[in-house]
Amino acid sequence: MTDGTLVALAEAIRAKRLSAVEATRAYLDRIARVDGALHTFITVDADGALAAARALDAEAAAGRWRGPLHGVPLAYKDLCHVQGLPTSCGTRTAEYFTGPRECTAVVRLREAGAVTLGKLNMSELALGPFGDNAHHGDVQNPWRRGHVAGGSSSGSGAAVAAGLAAGALGTDTGGSIRLPAAACGIVGLKPTYGRVSRAGAMALSWSLDHLGPMTRTVHDAAVMLGIIAGRDAHDATASHRRVPDYATALAKPVTGLRVGVAENYYFDGLAPDVERSVRDAVRALEGLGAAVQPVRVPDPTVHHGVANAIARAESAVIHARLARERPHELQPAVRARLEVGFQISAHDYLQAARLRAQLARQFIAEVFAEIDVLIAPTIPEAAPSLESAKAGSADDVVQRMGRFSRLTRPFNSLGLPALSLPCGLSADGRPLALQLVGRPFAEGTLLRLGHAYQGVTDWHARRPVLSPGGGSG
Amino acid sequence: MSTPERRQLAEAAGLAAVIERLGAAIALAEEPSGFAAALDAGAPDAFDD
Repeated sequence: MTDGTLVALAEAIRAKRLSAVEATRAYLDRIARVDGALHTFITVDADGALAAARALDAEAAAGRWRGPLHGVPLAYKDLCHVQGLPTSCGTRTAEYFTGPRECTAVVRLREAGAVTLGKLNMSELALGPFGDNAHHGDVQNPWRRGHVAGGSSSGSGAAVAAGLAAGALGTDTGGSIRLPAAACGIVGLKPTYGRVSRAGAMALSWSLDHLGPMTRTVHDAAVMLGIIAGRDAHDATASHRRVPDYATALAKPVTGLRVGVAENYYFDGLAPDVERSVRDAVRALEGLGAAVQPVRVPDPTVHHGVANAIARAESAVIHARLARERPHELQPAVRARLEVGFQISAHDYLQAARLRAQLARQFIAEVFAEIDVLIAPTIPEAAPSLESAKAGSADDVVQRMGRFSRLTRPFNSLGLPALSLPCGLSADGRPLALQLVGRPFAEGTLLRLGHAYQGVTDWHARRPVLSPGGGSG
Repeated sequence: MSTPERRQLAEAAGLAAVIERLGAAIALAEEPSGFAAALDAGAPDAFDD
């Protein structure tokens, strides 16, 4: 049961082949069995989940169905405020983030019938692409123990890959949905800036934060996005655009879609197996009728400077008390990244915000005049070992973080939707991934193309083999 | 000055140099809210996209 997709599970419950309680127990049993070694959860709410599942079963017995996720067990990154559960944000402080209002996306999923299993491990303060955490344990990659799960939504990526939740929420400020999705062999969608409300989720950088689904298939991601997207009175940046029926639109053909393969930057310095797998995927898309062409993109390194100035300044403001009053609690690399923000001048911060507007307009005009979707690798190499990711000084680690996330960060400052999906395995069985990037609010196009790709490949159907304790080879 | 402080100042100075270079030719009328406008203007016409 925990081996399937969110959509299949929802259908089984709807058809009464399975109850919400049975589904919830299956996930809780699996969490108890394997998560001691994987460290994907910070809080498991077994009692709350079973109580919710029992209520949902009673409603179903009375003919009342809450929505498309009735009885489906999900879990949320531990920066989403969920009533009654602590929100550590990956810090040492159990209740680091509190507030009067629950995370809007969680509320919408619950209203659609989802059961909350608990809160998922993450990089401390969402600052880090590897998913290591000194306070709650390093999240292990389910495909290969001792290797990073990717971050910062590390628990979300590993839990979905290991069958510990049918789907999860993550957040992405520089790649934090797509990197763990890629490293763990699942689907991760960073929507357009403003497509999904961030209300009730800890901010790392208001200008660059995105909240989105992490699932086993593109179809699952389409269903979750359709539920969580849309205007929200509690988040002024949430777009008022209507929300399309993403799941229904998956059936539309992809013939003739113009897919651009980046000629510059995105294929530089890749591990050979990453490049090979993405080029194979490009051929698969051609086989589906997509019109593939090379495309030059405006220099992405420019975006790094702009994004870093904004992200450093905003994160230092948001987490100033922790950084100034209890810096010893922070992991060295997290502290190093956070403290730089105190040195960014108001002039540079505001100038970066102006530049971002100019760069976004330029990128959209130049690139999407020629193509509908840009394809690029998500990660430059398969998940590295935890030991190598954490080795050396804080400066060494920060440099390494920048290299690992260099393919995802440009699309945060641009605010464009980006869908990561698995496209291969390294020789020793670690997942490889590509990202599809589209025009603003063109999530439907990305999902349609990704769904078509998953219709002719089986990378998304492969599962890590876990030993009884949760370890893998 | 400690080593971490020197490193912080160096990184901030590096970012400032990048911003200074990129901002040399930025239009006077450009403002941060132009970002949201760029996303809206760049969205596809078809609703189901």
